[in-house]
Amino acid sequence: MESRARGEMNTLASFYREREQAILGGGFILLLILIWQIVPALISLPRGIALFFTTPVEVIKSFYQLVVRNEIQSHVYTSAVEFVVGLGLAIVVGLPLGLVMGRSKILDAMLDPFVTAFNATPRLVFLPLLILWLGIGIWSKIMIVFVGALFPLLINTYEGVKNVDRVLVNVVRSFGASEWQTMKVVVLPNSVPYIVAGLRLAIGRALLGVVVGEFFGASRGLGFMIAGAATNYKVDVVFVGVTIFMGLSLALTHLVKRLEARLSRWRPDEVKTF
Amino acid sequence: MNSAERRRAMAFKRFYAEYQRLILGMVSVVGMMLLWELAFTYVIPLNPFFFTKPSLIAEAFKQQIVSGSLWHDVAISSKAFLLGFGLAVVVGIPIGVFMGWRRRAEYTLDPFLTALYASPLVALAPLLIIIFGVGLTGKVALIFLLSVFPFIFNVFAGVKCTDRLLVNVVRSFGGREKDIYFKVILPSIMPYIVAGARIAIGRGIVGILVTEFYAASEGIGFAISRFGDTYRLPDMFAAIMVLMIVAVGLTEGLRKLETLVAPWKVGQEAR
Repeated sequence: MESRARGEMNTLASFYREREQAILGGGFILLLILIWQIVPALISLPRGIALFFTTPVEVIKSFYQLVVRNEIQSHVYTSAVEFVVGLGLAIVVGLPLGLVMGRSKILDAMLDPFVTAFNATPRLVFLPLLILWLGIGIWSKIMIVFVGALFPLLINTYEGVKNVDRVLVNVVRSFGASEWQTMKVVVLPNSVPYIVAGLRLAIGRALLGVVVGEFFGASRGLGFMIAGAATNYKVDVVFVGVTIFMGLSLALTHLVKRLEARLSRWRPDEVKTF
Repeated sequence: MNSAERRRAMAFKRFYAEYQRLILGMVSVVGMMLLWELAFTYVIPLNPFFFTKPSLIAEAFKQQIVSGSLWHDVAISSKAFLLGFGLAVVVGIPIGVFMGWRRRAEYTLDPFLTALYASPLVALAPLLIIIFGVGLTGKVALIFLLSVFPFIFNVFAGVKCTDRLLVNVVRSFGGREKDIYFKVILPSIMPYIVAGARIAIGRGIVGILVTEFYAASEGIGFAISRFGDTYRLPDMFAAIMVLMIVAVGLTEGLRKLETLVAPWKVGQEAR
Protein backbone atom coordinates (compact mmCIF):
# COMPACT_ATOMS: atom_id res chain seq x y z
CA MET A 1 0.00 0.00 0.00
CA GLU A 2 2.58 2.41 1.15
CA SER A 3 5.04 1.39 -1.54
CA ARG A 4 2.36 1.91 -4.19
CA ALA A 5 1.72 5.40 -2.91
CA ARG A 6 5.42 6.02 -3.00
CA GLY A 7 5.56 4.62 -6.50
CA GLU A 8 2.84 7.04 -7.58
CA MET A 9 4.74 9.87 -5.98
CA ASN A 10 7.81 8.81 -7.87
CA THR A 11 6.04 8.71 -11.21
CA LEU A 12 4.53 12.10 -10.42
CA ALA A 13 7.94 13.46 -9.54
CA SER A 14 9.53 12.08 -12.67
CA PHE A 15 6.60 13.38 -14.73
CA TYR A 16 7.27 16.83 -13.27
CA ARG A 17 11.01 16.58 -13.76
CA GLU A 18 10.67 15.70 -17.40
CA ARG A 19 8.27 18.53 -18.16
CA GLU A 20 9.43 21.07 -15.58
CA GLN A 21 10.06 23.78 -18.13
CA ALA A 22 6.64 23.56 -19.76
CA ILE A 23 4.81 23.17 -16.43
CA LEU A 24 6.50 26.17 -14.81
CA GLY A 25 6.20 28.37 -17.90
CA GLY A 26 2.61 27.51 -18.74
CA GLY A 27 1.63 27.35 -15.10
CA PHE A 28 2.90 30.87 -14.48
CA ILE A 29 0.87 32.32 -17.33
CA LEU A 30 -2.25 30.44 -16.21
CA LEU A 31 -1.68 31.58 -12.64
CA LEU A 32 -1.44 35.23 -13.71
CA ILE A 33 -4.66 34.93 -15.71
CA LEU A 34 -6.37 33.26 -12.74
CA ILE A 35 -5.22 35.96 -10.32
CA TRP A 36 -6.40 38.59 -12.77
CA GLN A 37 -9.78 36.90 -12.84
CA ILE A 38 -10.31 36.54 -9.08
CA VAL A 39 -8.87 39.86 -7.90
CA PRO A 40 -12.23 41.69 -8.00
CA ALA A 41 -13.85 38.83 -6.08
CA LEU A 42 -11.23 38.95 -3.34
CA ILE A 43 -10.88 42.66 -2.73
CA SER A 44 -13.40 45.38 -3.48
CA LEU A 45 -11.66 47.75 -5.84
CA PRO A 46 -12.01 51.47 -5.27
CA ARG A 47 -14.31 53.10 -7.82
CA GLY A 48 -11.46 54.89 -9.54
CA ILE A 49 -9.69 51.62 -10.34
CA ALA A 50 -12.84 49.58 -10.96
CA LEU A 51 -13.52 51.87 -13.90
CA PHE A 52 -10.34 50.65 -15.60
CA PHE A 53 -10.62 47.07 -14.54
CA THR A 54 -11.79 44.08 -16.49
CA THR A 55 -11.39 40.34 -16.16
CA PRO A 56 -10.36 37.71 -18.70
CA VAL A 57 -13.91 36.31 -18.77
CA GLU A 58 -15.26 39.77 -19.56
CA VAL A 59 -12.74 40.10 -22.37
CA ILE A 60 -13.77 36.78 -23.88
CA LYS A 61 -17.45 37.70 -23.56
CA SER A 62 -17.00 41.02 -25.29
CA PHE A 63 -14.92 39.38 -28.02
CA TYR A 64 -17.81 36.98 -28.62
CA GLN A 65 -20.27 39.87 -28.67
CA LEU A 66 -18.16 41.81 -31.15
CA VAL A 67 -17.98 38.83 -33.48
CA VAL A 68 -21.67 38.00 -33.19
CA ARG A 69 -22.72 41.60 -33.80
CA ASN A 70 -20.43 41.66 -36.81
CA GLU A 71 -18.62 44.73 -35.45
CA ILE A 72 -15.04 43.51 -35.38
CA GLN A 73 -14.80 41.99 -38.85
CA SER A 74 -14.44 45.23 -40.79
CA HIS A 75 -11.80 46.46 -38.32
CA VAL A 76 -9.80 43.27 -38.71
CA TYR A 77 -10.15 43.43 -42.48
CA THR A 78 -8.90 47.02 -42.69
CA SER A 79 -5.92 46.33 -40.43
CA ALA A 80 -5.09 43.18 -42.38
CA VAL A 81 -5.12 45.03 -45.71
CA GLU A 82 -2.84 47.75 -44.35
CA PHE A 83 -0.47 45.17 -42.92
CA VAL A 84 -0.29 42.96 -46.01
CA VAL A 85 0.00 45.75 -48.59
CA GLY A 86 2.51 47.73 -46.53
CA LEU A 87 4.68 44.72 -45.79
CA GLY A 88 4.40 43.54 -49.40
CA LEU A 89 5.60 46.91 -50.68
CA ALA A 90 8.46 46.85 -48.19
CA ILE A 91 9.54 43.45 -49.48
CA VAL A 92 9.27 44.50 -53.11
CA VAL A 93 11.38 47.62 -52.51
CA GLY A 94 13.65 46.48 -49.66
CA LEU A 95 15.00 43.25 -51.12
CA PRO A 96 16.26 44.59 -54.47
CA LEU A 97 17.64 47.71 -52.80
CA GLY A 98 19.46 45.61 -50.21
CA LEU A 99 20.86 43.33 -52.91
CA VAL A 100 22.10 46.26 -54.98
CA MET A 101 23.58 48.03 -51.96
CA GLY A 102 25.37 44.85 -50.98
CA ARG A 103 26.85 44.37 -54.45
CA SER A 104 27.76 47.94 -55.35
CA LYS A 105 30.35 49.71 -53.25
CA ILE A 106 29.54 53.13 -54.59
CA LEU A 107 25.78 52.89 -54.09
CA ASP A 108 26.42 51.47 -50.65
CA ALA A 109 28.55 54.44 -49.65
CA MET A 110 26.07 56.91 -51.10
CA LEU A 111 22.92 55.45 -49.53
CA ASP A 112 24.48 54.50 -46.19
CA PRO A 113 23.99 57.88 -44.43
CA PHE A 114 20.28 57.84 -45.28
CA VAL A 115 19.78 54.22 -44.29
CA THR A 116 21.61 54.73 -40.97
CA ALA A 117 19.65 57.87 -40.15
CA PHE A 118 16.25 56.43 -41.04
CA ASN A 119 16.99 53.16 -39.31
CA ALA A 120 18.02 54.78 -36.04
CA THR A 121 14.92 56.99 -35.97
CA PRO A 122 11.57 55.36 -35.31
CA ARG A 123 9.72 55.96 -38.56
CA LEU A 124 6.59 56.71 -36.58
CA VAL A 125 7.89 60.27 -36.47
CA PHE A 126 6.67 60.62 -40.07
CA LEU A 127 3.10 59.72 -39.20
CA PRO A 128 1.79 63.31 -38.93
CA LEU A 129 3.50 64.11 -42.23
CA LEU A 130 2.02 61.06 -43.96
CA ILE A 131 -1.45 61.89 -42.65
CA LEU A 132 -1.01 65.42 -43.94
CA TRP A 133 0.03 64.14 -47.37
CA LEU A 134 -2.22 61.14 -47.79
CA GLY A 135 -5.19 61.92 -45.58
CA ILE A 136 -6.71 59.70 -42.94
CA GLY A 137 -7.63 56.92 -45.33
CA ILE A 138 -5.94 53.61 -45.73
CA TRP A 139 -2.90 54.88 -47.67
CA SER A 140 -1.30 56.83 -44.84
CA LYS A 141 -1.33 53.60 -42.79
CA ILE A 142 0.01 51.54 -45.66
CA MET A 143 2.87 54.00 -46.04
CA ILE A 144 3.71 54.03 -42.32
CA VAL A 145 3.76 50.22 -42.37
CA PHE A 146 5.93 50.37 -45.47
CA VAL A 147 8.57 52.74 -44.07
CA GLY A 148 8.54 50.84 -40.79
CA ALA A 149 9.13 47.44 -42.35
CA LEU A 150 11.44 48.60 -45.16
CA PHE A 151 14.64 49.15 -43.18
CA PRO A 152 14.92 45.85 -41.29
CA LEU A 153 14.41 44.04 -44.60
CA LEU A 154 16.84 46.23 -46.50
CA ILE A 155 19.56 46.05 -43.85
CA ASN A 156 19.27 42.30 -43.35
CA THR A 157 19.36 41.62 -47.08
CA TYR A 158 22.42 43.85 -47.29
CA GLU A 159 24.10 41.98 -44.44
CA GLY A 160 23.30 38.69 -46.14
CA VAL A 161 24.89 39.80 -49.40
CA LYS A 162 27.94 41.16 -47.56
CA ASN A 163 28.45 37.84 -45.78
CA VAL A 164 28.43 35.76 -48.93
CA ASP A 165 31.48 33.55 -49.30
CA ARG A 166 33.96 35.42 -51.53
CA VAL A 167 35.40 32.14 -52.77
CA LEU A 168 32.06 31.00 -54.14
CA VAL A 169 31.54 34.32 -55.90
CA ASN A 170 35.02 34.12 -57.42
CA VAL A 171 34.47 30.55 -58.62
CA VAL A 172 31.23 31.44 -60.36
CA ARG A 173 32.88 34.53 -61.83
CA SER A 174 35.84 32.52 -63.12
CA PHE A 175 33.45 30.28 -64.96
CA GLY A 176 32.12 33.34 -66.72
CA ALA A 177 28.93 34.08 -64.84
CA SER A 178 27.37 37.48 -65.35
CA GLU A 179 26.42 39.71 -62.40
CA TRP A 180 22.82 38.51 -62.75
CA GLN A 181 23.85 34.86 -62.72
CA THR A 182 26.15 35.37 -59.74
CA MET A 183 23.22 36.94 -57.94
CA LYS A 184 20.92 34.06 -58.79
CA VAL A 185 23.29 31.18 -58.14
CA VAL A 186 25.34 32.34 -55.15
CA VAL A 187 24.27 35.61 -53.57
CA LEU A 188 20.53 35.15 -53.27
CA PRO A 189 20.50 31.60 -51.87
CA ASN A 190 23.15 32.59 -49.34
CA SER A 191 21.23 35.62 -48.11
CA VAL A 192 17.89 33.86 -47.70
CA PRO A 193 18.32 33.15 -43.96
CA TYR A 194 19.24 36.78 -43.38
CA ILE A 195 16.24 37.94 -45.37
CA VAL A 196 13.93 35.74 -43.33
CA ALA A 197 15.45 37.11 -40.11
CA GLY A 198 14.80 40.58 -41.49
CA LEU A 199 11.24 39.57 -42.26
CA ARG A 200 10.75 38.60 -38.62
CA LEU A 201 11.85 42.06 -37.49
CA ALA A 202 9.82 43.69 -40.25
CA ILE A 203 6.63 41.97 -39.08
CA GLY A 204 7.06 43.56 -35.66
CA ARG A 205 7.60 47.01 -37.16
CA ALA A 206 4.66 46.56 -39.53
CA LEU A 207 2.29 45.67 -36.68
CA LEU A 208 3.57 48.67 -34.73
CA GLY A 209 2.77 50.83 -37.75
CA VAL A 210 -0.74 49.40 -38.07
CA VAL A 211 -1.53 49.93 -34.38
CA VAL A 212 -0.16 53.43 -34.02
CA GLY A 213 -1.25 54.58 -37.47
CA GLU A 214 -4.82 53.68 -36.64
CA PHE A 215 -4.73 55.47 -33.29
CA PHE A 216 -4.58 58.81 -35.06
CA GLY A 217 -6.95 59.98 -37.73
CA ALA A 218 -8.37 56.66 -38.85
CA SER A 219 -11.99 55.66 -39.21
CA ARG A 220 -11.59 51.91 -39.12
CA GLY A 221 -9.17 49.22 -38.02
CA LEU A 222 -8.24 47.44 -34.81
CA GLY A 223 -6.06 50.31 -33.56
CA PHE A 224 -8.98 52.69 -34.12
CA MET A 225 -11.21 50.28 -32.22
CA ILE A 226 -8.76 50.19 -29.29
CA ALA A 227 -8.39 53.97 -29.13
CA GLY A 228 -12.15 54.51 -29.34
CA ALA A 229 -12.87 51.91 -26.68
CA ALA A 230 -10.27 53.40 -24.34
CA THR A 231 -11.86 56.84 -24.62
CA ASN A 232 -15.21 55.32 -23.68
CA TYR A 233 -13.72 53.32 -20.79
CA LYS A 234 -14.63 50.04 -22.49
CA VAL A 235 -11.53 48.34 -21.14
CA ASP A 236 -12.68 44.86 -22.16
CA VAL A 237 -12.80 45.94 -25.81
CA VAL A 238 -9.30 47.42 -25.47
CA PHE A 239 -8.05 44.05 -24.30
CA VAL A 240 -9.85 42.26 -27.13
CA GLY A 241 -7.87 44.37 -29.57
CA VAL A 242 -4.60 44.01 -27.66
CA THR A 243 -5.07 40.25 -27.44
CA ILE A 244 -5.71 39.95 -31.16
CA PHE A 245 -2.54 41.91 -31.90
CA MET A 246 -0.57 39.79 -29.43
CA GLY A 247 -1.90 36.56 -30.93
CA LEU A 248 -1.17 37.69 -34.49
CA SER A 249 2.31 38.82 -33.59
CA LEU A 250 3.16 35.59 -31.78
CA ALA A 251 1.70 33.41 -34.53
CA LEU A 252 3.51 35.26 -37.34
CA THR A 253 6.80 35.38 -35.44
CA HIS A 254 6.54 31.68 -34.72
CA LEU A 255 5.83 30.91 -38.38
CA VAL A 256 8.81 32.91 -39.57
CA LYS A 257 11.03 31.28 -36.95
CA ARG A 258 9.95 27.87 -38.24
CA LEU A 259 10.76 29.03 -41.75
CA GLU A 260 14.14 30.28 -40.53
CA ALA A 261 14.95 26.94 -38.94
CA ARG A 262 13.83 25.08 -42.04
CA LEU A 263 15.81 27.23 -44.45
CA SER A 264 19.02 27.03 -42.48
CA ARG A 265 18.71 23.31 -41.78
CA TRP A 266 21.16 22.39 -44.50
CA ARG A 267 23.94 24.60 -43.28
CA PRO A 268 26.45 23.82 -40.54
CA ASP A 269 25.52 24.73 -37.00
CA GLU A 270 27.91 27.62 -36.50
CA VAL A 271 26.28 29.54 -39.31
CA LYS A 272 22.81 28.81 -38.06
CA THR A 273 22.95 31.39 -35.31
CA PHE A 274 23.54 34.88 -36.43
CA MET B 1 51.73 66.75 -67.36
CA ASN B 2 54.77 67.44 -65.21
CA SER B 3 55.85 65.28 -62.26
CA ALA B 4 54.50 67.61 -59.55
CA GLU B 5 51.07 67.50 -61.09
CA ARG B 6 51.25 63.77 -61.45
CA ARG B 7 52.26 63.46 -57.81
CA ARG B 8 49.35 65.62 -56.75
CA ALA B 9 46.97 63.47 -58.80
CA MET B 10 48.40 60.36 -57.20
CA ALA B 11 47.98 61.84 -53.70
CA PHE B 12 44.42 62.74 -54.49
CA LYS B 13 43.73 59.24 -55.72
CA ARG B 14 45.17 57.74 -52.60
CA PHE B 15 43.18 60.15 -50.44
CA TYR B 16 40.02 59.23 -52.32
CA ALA B 17 40.67 55.49 -51.98
CA GLU B 18 41.14 55.89 -48.25
CA TYR B 19 38.12 58.02 -47.53
CA GLN B 20 35.90 56.79 -50.37
CA ARG B 21 32.95 55.91 -48.17
CA LEU B 22 33.04 59.18 -46.27
CA ILE B 23 33.41 61.29 -49.40
CA LEU B 24 30.67 59.51 -51.31
CA GLY B 25 28.36 59.70 -48.31
CA MET B 26 28.89 63.40 -47.88
CA VAL B 27 28.54 64.03 -51.58
CA SER B 28 25.21 62.23 -51.66
CA VAL B 29 23.82 64.01 -48.59
CA VAL B 30 24.90 67.45 -49.77
CA GLY B 31 23.79 66.64 -53.32
CA MET B 32 20.39 65.53 -52.11
CA MET B 33 19.91 68.76 -50.14
CA LEU B 34 20.99 70.88 -53.10
CA LEU B 35 18.75 68.99 -55.49
CA TRP B 36 15.81 69.35 -53.10
CA GLU B 37 16.45 73.09 -52.66
CA LEU B 38 17.01 73.83 -56.34
CA ALA B 39 14.13 71.71 -57.59
CA PHE B 40 11.63 73.58 -55.47
CA THR B 41 13.19 76.95 -56.18
CA TYR B 42 13.44 76.78 -59.96
CA VAL B 43 11.60 73.75 -61.35
CA ILE B 44 8.58 72.78 -59.29
CA PRO B 45 6.35 75.47 -57.81
CA LEU B 46 6.39 75.01 -54.03
CA ASN B 47 3.06 74.53 -52.33
CA PRO B 48 3.88 75.57 -48.77
CA PHE B 49 0.94 73.59 -47.37
CA PHE B 50 2.22 70.38 -48.86
CA PHE B 51 5.98 70.48 -48.98
CA THR B 52 8.96 72.55 -47.99
CA LYS B 53 12.64 73.00 -48.79
CA PRO B 54 15.90 73.03 -46.84
CA SER B 55 16.34 76.83 -46.71
CA LEU B 56 12.89 77.25 -45.14
CA ILE B 57 13.60 74.40 -42.70
CA ALA B 58 16.87 76.04 -41.65
CA GLU B 59 15.04 79.31 -41.12
CA ALA B 60 12.39 77.60 -38.99
CA PHE B 61 15.07 75.77 -37.07
CA LYS B 62 16.86 79.02 -36.30
CA GLN B 63 13.68 80.64 -35.13
CA GLN B 64 12.79 77.74 -32.87
CA ILE B 65 16.21 77.89 -31.26
CA VAL B 66 16.06 81.65 -30.79
CA SER B 67 12.57 81.52 -29.27
CA GLY B 68 13.58 78.65 -27.03
CA SER B 69 10.51 76.56 -27.89
CA LEU B 70 12.68 73.76 -29.26
CA TRP B 71 14.69 73.44 -26.06
CA HIS B 72 11.54 73.43 -24.03
CA ASP B 73 9.97 70.60 -26.04
CA VAL B 74 13.16 68.57 -26.10
CA ALA B 75 13.61 69.03 -22.35
CA ILE B 76 10.04 67.90 -21.62
CA SER B 77 10.42 64.76 -23.73
CA SER B 78 13.92 64.03 -22.43
CA LYS B 79 12.71 64.10 -18.85
CA ALA B 80 10.01 61.49 -19.57
CA PHE B 81 12.50 59.46 -21.58
CA LEU B 82 15.16 59.47 -18.87
CA LEU B 83 12.70 58.50 -16.15
CA GLY B 84 11.14 55.67 -18.16
CA PHE B 85 14.48 54.46 -19.44
CA GLY B 86 16.06 54.66 -16.00
CA LEU B 87 13.21 52.65 -14.54
CA ALA B 88 13.66 50.08 -17.31
CA VAL B 89 17.36 49.74 -16.41
CA VAL B 90 16.67 49.46 -12.69
CA VAL B 91 13.92 46.88 -13.14
CA GLY B 92 15.15 45.05 -16.23
CA ILE B 93 18.69 44.21 -15.13
CA PRO B 94 17.75 42.42 -11.86
CA ILE B 95 15.02 40.44 -13.63
CA GLY B 96 17.47 39.45 -16.36
CA VAL B 97 20.11 38.40 -13.82
CA PHE B 98 17.55 36.44 -11.82
CA MET B 99 16.32 34.66 -14.95
CA GLY B 100 19.82 33.89 -16.13
CA TRP B 101 21.14 32.67 -12.79
CA ARG B 102 18.21 30.60 -11.53
CA ARG B 103 17.08 27.82 -13.84
CA ARG B 104 13.56 27.64 -12.42
CA ALA B 105 13.15 31.39 -12.68
CA GLU B 106 14.05 31.10 -16.36
CA TYR B 107 11.51 28.31 -16.91
CA THR B 108 8.81 30.27 -15.13
CA LEU B 109 9.32 33.75 -16.54
CA ASP B 110 10.70 33.15 -20.03
CA PRO B 111 7.49 32.19 -21.92
CA PHE B 112 5.49 35.00 -20.35
CA LEU B 113 8.09 37.71 -20.93
CA THR B 114 8.90 36.46 -24.44
CA ALA B 115 5.23 36.70 -25.34
CA LEU B 116 5.13 40.28 -24.06
CA TYR B 117 8.37 41.19 -25.85
CA ALA B 118 7.13 39.81 -29.16
CA SER B 119 3.77 41.56 -29.06
CA PRO B 120 3.03 45.17 -29.93
CA LEU B 121 2.55 46.46 -26.39
CA VAL B 122 2.14 49.92 -27.81
CA ALA B 123 -1.49 48.92 -28.32
CA LEU B 124 -1.90 49.50 -24.59
CA ALA B 125 -0.98 53.19 -25.01
CA PRO B 126 -4.56 54.58 -24.98
CA LEU B 127 -5.36 52.63 -21.83
CA LEU B 128 -2.16 53.75 -20.08
CA ILE B 129 -2.84 57.37 -20.99
CA ILE B 130 -6.39 57.16 -19.66
CA ILE B 131 -5.21 55.52 -16.44
CA PHE B 132 -2.12 57.64 -15.80
CA GLY B 133 -3.15 60.87 -17.47
CA VAL B 134 -1.64 62.85 -20.32
CA GLY B 135 1.22 64.17 -18.21
CA LEU B 136 4.57 62.76 -17.28
CA THR B 137 3.34 59.55 -15.63
CA GLY B 138 1.58 58.18 -18.70
CA LYS B 139 4.64 58.80 -20.87
CA VAL B 140 7.01 57.23 -18.35
CA ALA B 141 4.75 54.18 -18.03
CA LEU B 142 4.72 53.49 -21.78
CA ILE B 143 8.43 54.22 -22.26
CA PHE B 144 9.21 51.84 -19.41
CA LEU B 145 6.93 49.13 -20.75
CA LEU B 146 8.48 49.29 -24.22
CA SER B 147 12.14 49.59 -23.23
CA VAL B 148 12.37 47.16 -20.31
CA PHE B 149 12.38 43.98 -22.41
CA PRO B 150 15.62 44.53 -24.35
CA PHE B 151 17.36 44.94 -20.98
CA ILE B 152 15.78 41.82 -19.50
CA PHE B 153 16.64 39.60 -22.45
CA ASN B 154 20.11 40.95 -23.13
CA VAL B 155 21.12 40.66 -19.48
CA PHE B 156 19.59 37.20 -19.44
CA ALA B 157 21.73 36.19 -22.41
CA GLY B 158 24.76 37.83 -20.79
CA VAL B 159 24.41 35.93 -17.53
CA LYS B 160 24.05 32.68 -19.47
CA CYS B 161 27.41 33.40 -21.09
CA THR B 162 29.18 34.12 -17.81
CA ASP B 163 32.39 32.15 -17.50
CA ARG B 164 31.72 29.24 -15.10
CA LEU B 165 35.41 29.10 -14.29
CA LEU B 166 35.37 32.60 -12.80
CA VAL B 167 32.36 31.69 -10.67
CA ASN B 168 34.14 28.58 -9.40
CA VAL B 169 37.27 30.54 -8.61
CA VAL B 170 35.32 33.00 -6.47
CA ARG B 171 33.58 30.09 -4.74
CA SER B 172 36.84 28.22 -4.08
CA PHE B 173 38.41 31.25 -2.50
CA GLY B 174 35.51 31.55 -0.14
CA GLY B 175 33.56 34.26 -1.94
CA ARG B 176 29.91 34.60 -1.08
CA GLU B 177 26.87 34.82 -3.34
CA LYS B 178 27.16 38.62 -3.21
CA ASP B 179 30.73 38.45 -4.50
CA ILE B 180 29.67 36.29 -7.42
CA TYR B 181 27.03 38.83 -8.41
CA PHE B 182 29.17 41.92 -8.08
CA LYS B 183 32.63 40.60 -9.04
CA VAL B 184 31.79 38.16 -11.82
CA ILE B 185 28.29 38.57 -13.21
CA LEU B 186 28.01 42.34 -13.23
CA PRO B 187 31.27 43.04 -15.07
CA SER B 188 30.63 40.29 -17.61
CA ILE B 189 27.12 41.49 -18.50
CA MET B 190 28.20 45.11 -19.08
CA PRO B 191 28.53 44.72 -22.87
CA TYR B 192 25.13 43.07 -22.98
CA ILE B 193 23.60 45.96 -21.07
CA VAL B 194 25.03 48.40 -23.61
CA ALA B 195 23.68 46.28 -26.48
CA GLY B 196 20.29 46.19 -24.76
CA ALA B 197 20.33 49.93 -24.30
CA ARG B 198 20.92 50.47 -28.02
CA ILE B 199 17.82 48.48 -28.89
CA ALA B 200 15.81 50.00 -26.05
CA ILE B 201 16.48 53.56 -27.24
CA GLY B 202 14.43 53.14 -30.40
CA ARG B 203 11.59 51.59 -28.47
CA GLY B 204 11.72 54.35 -25.88
CA ILE B 205 11.48 57.01 -28.59
CA VAL B 206 8.46 55.16 -29.99
CA GLY B 207 6.94 55.48 -26.52
CA ILE B 208 7.54 59.24 -26.46
CA LEU B 209 6.12 59.74 -29.93
CA VAL B 210 3.00 57.66 -29.41
CA THR B 211 2.03 59.23 -26.09
CA GLU B 212 2.76 62.73 -27.32
CA PHE B 213 0.96 62.28 -30.62
CA TYR B 214 -1.97 60.78 -28.79
CA ALA B 215 -2.48 63.25 -26.01
CA ALA B 216 -0.01 65.78 -24.69
CA SER B 217 0.36 69.50 -24.33
CA GLU B 218 4.12 69.75 -24.78
CA GLY B 219 7.12 67.75 -25.93
CA ILE B 220 8.85 67.05 -29.23
CA GLY B 221 6.21 64.57 -30.43
CA PHE B 222 3.47 67.01 -29.59
CA ALA B 223 5.34 69.76 -31.46
CA ILE B 224 5.64 67.57 -34.57
CA SER B 225 1.97 66.66 -34.61
CA ARG B 226 0.85 70.25 -33.86
CA PHE B 227 3.02 71.65 -36.66
CA GLY B 228 1.43 69.05 -38.93
CA ASP B 229 -2.08 69.99 -37.89
CA THR B 230 -1.39 73.67 -38.53
CA TYR B 231 0.43 73.09 -41.84
CA ARG B 232 3.69 74.61 -40.55
CA LEU B 233 5.79 72.24 -42.61
CA PRO B 234 9.21 73.89 -42.18
CA ASP B 235 8.80 73.80 -38.39
CA MET B 236 7.65 70.22 -38.59
CA PHE B 237 10.65 69.12 -40.65
CA ALA B 238 12.99 71.00 -38.30
CA ALA B 239 11.54 69.14 -35.31
CA ILE B 240 11.71 65.79 -37.14
CA MET B 241 15.36 66.43 -38.00
CA VAL B 242 16.20 67.29 -34.39
CA LEU B 243 14.68 63.98 -33.32
CA MET B 244 16.58 62.15 -36.06
CA ILE B 245 19.88 63.72 -35.00
CA VAL B 246 19.28 62.79 -31.37
CA ALA B 247 18.30 59.22 -32.30
CA VAL B 248 21.28 58.73 -34.59
CA GLY B 249 23.64 60.28 -32.02
CA LEU B 250 22.42 58.00 -29.23
CA THR B 251 22.33 54.83 -31.34
CA GLU B 252 25.71 55.32 -32.98
CA GLY B 253 27.22 56.46 -29.70
CA LEU B 254 26.11 53.25 -28.03
CA ARG B 255 27.33 51.22 -31.02
CA LYS B 256 30.78 52.79 -30.55
CA LEU B 257 30.62 52.07 -26.84
CA GLU B 258 29.67 48.49 -27.66
CA THR B 259 32.76 47.96 -29.79
CA LEU B 260 34.78 49.65 -27.06
CA VAL B 261 33.61 47.49 -24.15
CA ALA B 262 33.35 44.32 -26.24
CA PRO B 263 35.02 44.15 -29.65
CA TRP B 264 33.32 40.81 -30.24
CA LYS B 265 29.64 40.88 -31.07
CA VAL B 266 27.30 40.37 -28.16
CA GLY B 267 23.64 40.65 -27.40
CA GLN B 268 20.46 39.81 -29.15
CA GLU B 269 18.83 41.87 -31.80
CA ALA B 270 15.29 43.07 -31.25
CA ARG B 271 12.65 40.43 -31.70
